Amino acid sequence: METAVLQVFRYDPEKDQAPYYKEYEVPVEGTLLNALLYIKDNLDPTLAFRAFCRSEVCGSCSMKVNGKTKLACKTPMKELVETWKGKPLRIEPLNHMKVIKDLVVDIDKPIEKMKTLIPWLVPDPRVVPTDPMHESIIYPEEMEAYKDQIHCMLCFSCYSACEAVADNERYRGPFAFSKAYRFQVDRRDIETAKEKRIRYAISGGLWSCVQCQKCLYVCPKGVKPAEDIQNLRGQAVKKGFTDKPGAKKLKHFVDWIYATGQINRLYLPEEVYGNKEAREKLTKAYTEMGVEVWEVPKPTKGLMKFRDIYLEILSKEDKALDLDYSHVRKIDKMVSDIFKADICTIVDKAHEEGRSSRGLISKLKGLLGGQ
Amino acid sequence: MVELDYDIVIVGGGGAGLYAALWAAENTILKVAVMTKVYPTRSHTGAAEGGINAVLTHSVGDSPEAHAYDTVKGSDFLADQDAVDIMCKMGAAVIYDIAHRGVPFSRRPDGRIAQRPFGGASFPRTCYAADKTGFYILQTLYEQCLKNNVTFLNEWFLLSIIHNGERVEGITAWDIRNGGVHLIKTKAVILATGGHARVYWNRTSNALGNTGDGTAAALRAGLPLKDMEFIQFHPTGLAKTGILVTEGARGEGGYLRNKDGERFMKRYAPEKMELAPRDIVARAIQTEIDEGRGCGPNGDYICLDLTHLGEEKINERLPQTREHAILYEGVDPVKEPIPIAPTAHYSMGGIDADKLGRTPIKGLYAAGECACISVHGANRLGGNSLLDVLVYGRLTALEAVKYADEAPETNPSVAKAKDDEKRILELMEADGKEKVADLRKELGNVMMKHFGVFREEKSMREGLEKVMEIKERAKHVKVYDTSKKFNTDLITALEFLNLVDLAPAIAVPAIERKESRGAHARKDYPKRDDKNFLKHSVVKLKEDGTYELSWKPVTITKFPPEERKY
Repeated sequence: METAVLQVFRYDPEKDQAPYYKEYEVPVEGTLLNALLYIKDNLDPTLAFRAFCRSEVCGSCSMKVNGKTKLACKTPMKELVETWKGKPLRIEPLNHMKVIKDLVVDIDKPIEKMKTLIPWLVPDPRVVPTDPMHESIIYPEEMEAYKDQIHCMLCFSCYSACEAVADNERYRGPFAFSKAYRFQVDRRDIETAKEKRIRYAISGGLWSCVQCQKCLYVCPKGVKPAEDIQNLRGQAVKKGFTDKPGAKKLKHFVDWIYATGQINRLYLPEEVYGNKEAREKLTKAYTEMGVEVWEVPKPTKGLMKFRDIYLEILSKEDKALDLDYSHVRKIDKMVSDIFKADICTIVDKAHEEGRSSRGLISKLKGLLGGQ
Repeated sequence: MVELDYDIVIVGGGGAGLYAALWAAENTILKVAVMTKVYPTRSHTGAAEGGINAVLTHSVGDSPEAHAYDTVKGSDFLADQDAVDIMCKMGAAVIYDIAHRGVPFSRRPDGRIAQRPFGGASFPRTCYAADKTGFYILQTLYEQCLKNNVTFLNEWFLLSIIHNGERVEGITAWDIRNGGVHLIKTKAVILATGGHARVYWNRTSNALGNTGDGTAAALRAGLPLKDMEFIQFHPTGLAKTGILVTEGARGEGGYLRNKDGERFMKRYAPEKMELAPRDIVARAIQTEIDEGRGCGPNGDYICLDLTHLGEEKINERLPQTREHAILYEGVDPVKEPIPIAPTAHYSMGGIDADKLGRTPIKGLYAAGECACISVHGANRLGGNSLLDVLVYGRLTALEAVKYADEAPETNPSVAKAKDDEKRILELMEADGKEKVADLRKELGNVMMKHFGVFREEKSMREGLEKVMEIKERAKHVKVYDTSKKFNTDLITALEFLNLVDLAPAIAVPAIERKESRGAHARKDYPKRDDKNFLKHSVVKLKEDGTYELSWKPVTITKFPPEERKY
C-alpha cells in the first residue's frame, strides 16, 4: 500500500517546553481526516485533533497542511501527495488562535468577536409577524442576497488565513463580517439593528481589511468575506459613517477621480488623516528628488466624457450616491483658480489644441463593456 | 472537586438542546446551561439534509391528522398515538417560529414556505432549506442562543446522572478542555444527546461522536430504555465509509444493480422499483449481498448507477453526491456506479419518556434522538426527526422550567463524582491488553452481522454472547494519554464504553421480539404479530450487570393497527 509521511505538530502545554513535530507513516487512502484517525487508532492514541461529521458540514477539522488552510475531511490524501511531490506533509493547527493541544486551537475568541457584530436576526415587527401562527412571506429572489453567507459553518479557516487578524487584535475576522452582512441584506431585519451592526463593524476593524482576498480562497464553502466586507463598507458610507480614514479614503478616490481622472497624492494625507502639513512637505520632498509635482492635474481633452462614463460605472454598481458633488465643485474651483479659467473653458481649449486623451477613455470603455 | 450550580442543565447542543435552551432562556430567569461535548454547531443535526415535516396553514388538503396517520403507519403502529398527535399538531408552530428566527426555508414563488413529497407521506409536507435543512436550523438556533446570552459549557462530556430514586439532583461531567471531573448541581436535566447508531461502528451514516452518551448514562443510572431493538438502516450508504447518499439519487432516476448488472428491485418491488420505502430497499440490498450477488471482490456492496443520468444532470441535481462519491469512495458517478450498502442511520429507541418528554425520574427529561417518546415506533419517516427534535426540545424546556421553578434545592452527593474520578484513573492505569480501536471495530462487526438489517434467533443469541464477551474484554482497555487537557484518548474510550453498555440493550429485546415490525426484520418470524408484540420493550440495567427486559403497552387512540402497505 502506498504510504506518506505526515509531520504532525505536537504540543501539550502541560508537558512540553516547546512544540515539536512527530512523523507518522500513513496510508494514502481516503482523506487527511482518515489519515489522522489512522494515527489515533493504530500509531498514537495521544494525538489530539477535532473531528465530528467527517462529511464537510460541521467545520471541526480545519487545519494547515504545509501552510495552506484545509478542511481535513475534504482533503484527499492522494491530492496532497500529488501536490507536494516527495515533500513531507507538515500538519499544523490554525493560526491566530491559542493552541490548546496539538492541532486543537481555542476558538472562543473568534466566536466572542463574532458575537459583537449581532450575527442574528433582529426581526422588524412590521415585516415579521409577532403572531406565531402567522407566516412571514419571503420571496425566493430576495434570498439571493444572502445565499452564500448562510453556508458559513464556523470552521475559522478564513480567520486563520487573514492578514488583518494578524495585524490587528481587535479585528473581528472575515467570517464574522460575512455573518453580520447576511442580516444587513435581510429585509426582515430591523433598521436600528442594521445601523448598530455597521457601527460595531467599524469599531471592529471594518476598514482594516486589506482586501488580500485570502479568506475567499480558503473558504471550503464558497463564502466570500472579502466581498461582504466591501459591501459593508459601502453601507457604512451610505449610512453616513464617513469619519473613519477608510471611508475618507474611499471618498477621496471617488471624488478626485471623478473631478480630475486621478487621485491626488498631495491632498490625500490631509483629506484622509487630517494631516495639514503633508502637502507642503511632500511638495518639498518631491522637488528635491526631482519628481514632477503638480497641485492638480491639468484637465485634459475628454474629461467631460470621462465623467459621464465614470458616473455610469458608479451607477451600475449602485454607488452613484457616493459621489460628493460639493467636494467635486471645490476641486473644480481649485482647478479654475490655478489655471485661471473655468473648467469647461480649459477642457474646450484642450480639445482645440488636440491633445490626446484617448487612452483614458478607451480604457474605461473597456471596463464598461466587461461588466 | 469543583462544583457548579444551575437550575436546568441541557445536555447536548444539537437541534433539541439548542431549541430547549432558547425556549428556556426566553421563558424563565432560572439559571440554564447547555453542556455539549462539541461546539454546538458541530452537532449532527447539521447533517440532516432532506427536511422537516409539518402541515402548514397553506397546505391544501393536508391535516395534522393525516400527518399523524402517516407517522403511525410508518411506525408500523408501534408509536404512541397521543405523542404523535402532539408532535403533528405543533408542526406549523415550530416551523413558523424558526422561520421567524431566520431559518432560510426554501420558498414558493408566492413567498410561502415550499414543501416537497417524502417517503411514506400522503401529502407533500416536507419543508426544506435547499439540501441543508438541518445545517441552517442548527446555525440559526445557535445564533438565537447567542442573542439570548445562553450559557454554554462547550466541550464538556457527560459522565453520570445523579438522582435519589425519585428526582434528579445533578450530573457529573468531564471538562474536556481543562480536564477534571465536575459535580454539577441542578434541579432539572434535559438529555438531548442524540443517537447511538455508532454501535454499528463500521457501517453508519452517523458522526464519529454519535455514541449515545446520554442514553448510556441514563441506563447506568437505572433508567429504562425503550424499543432499543429498532435501528433504522438507510439503504444507500457509501460502501467504504457508510456516509449517506441521499434518497434523491434514486429520486432522480438512479438504478440499483447487483454484480450481474441486474436491476434487482424488480424482484422485490416491481412497481416502485428503486423508490420503494427505505426499509424494503435496505432489505433487498442486504438480500442480494447475503445471497452472493453483491459486487466487488468481496461481494459486499451493491452498485448505485447514475451514469445514464449524464454529467449535466448529476452536476445540477446531485452535486453533493458526486463530490462525496469522488472524495470518499474514489468513484466518479458520472463514469462509474457508486458502491453502496445499507448503513445504520437512526435510533428509534432510547430513553423511555412520556408524551411530554418526562422520564420516570422527576426533573429528568429526554428529547430528540436519545429519547423514545415514542413518536417513531418501529420505523421513522424521513423528515420527522427534525420535527421531533424541535417539538420535544421546546416541550421539555417548558416542562423543565415549570418543574425547576417550584422544585426544592438539591443536594447531590460527591460520591458519584469520586466514583467517576476513580473510573477515569483506572482507565489510565489499566493493563491495556485490549485496544479501544480494535474492540470498537469488533463490536461494530458483531452488531452488523447479528443485529443488522436481517435478524434471526440463533444468530442473535450468538451475537449477544459475543457482545457480552466484548463487554468483558472492554475492562482491559487503557487510556494512554495521561494529560488532563483535551485528552481525546480518554473521550474515545468513554464513548466506546457507552457503546458497549448500549449494545446488549439492543440485543436483548431484539432476541425476544419474535416478530417482524418496521426496522426489526426477522427471518424466523417474517410477519408482524400484533397479538403478542404490539407493545414496547423496556430494558433496564440491573446492579449485577444483567439486562432486564419487560414490556409496556402502546397508546392507541385514533388509528387501530392495520396492514402496512404502500
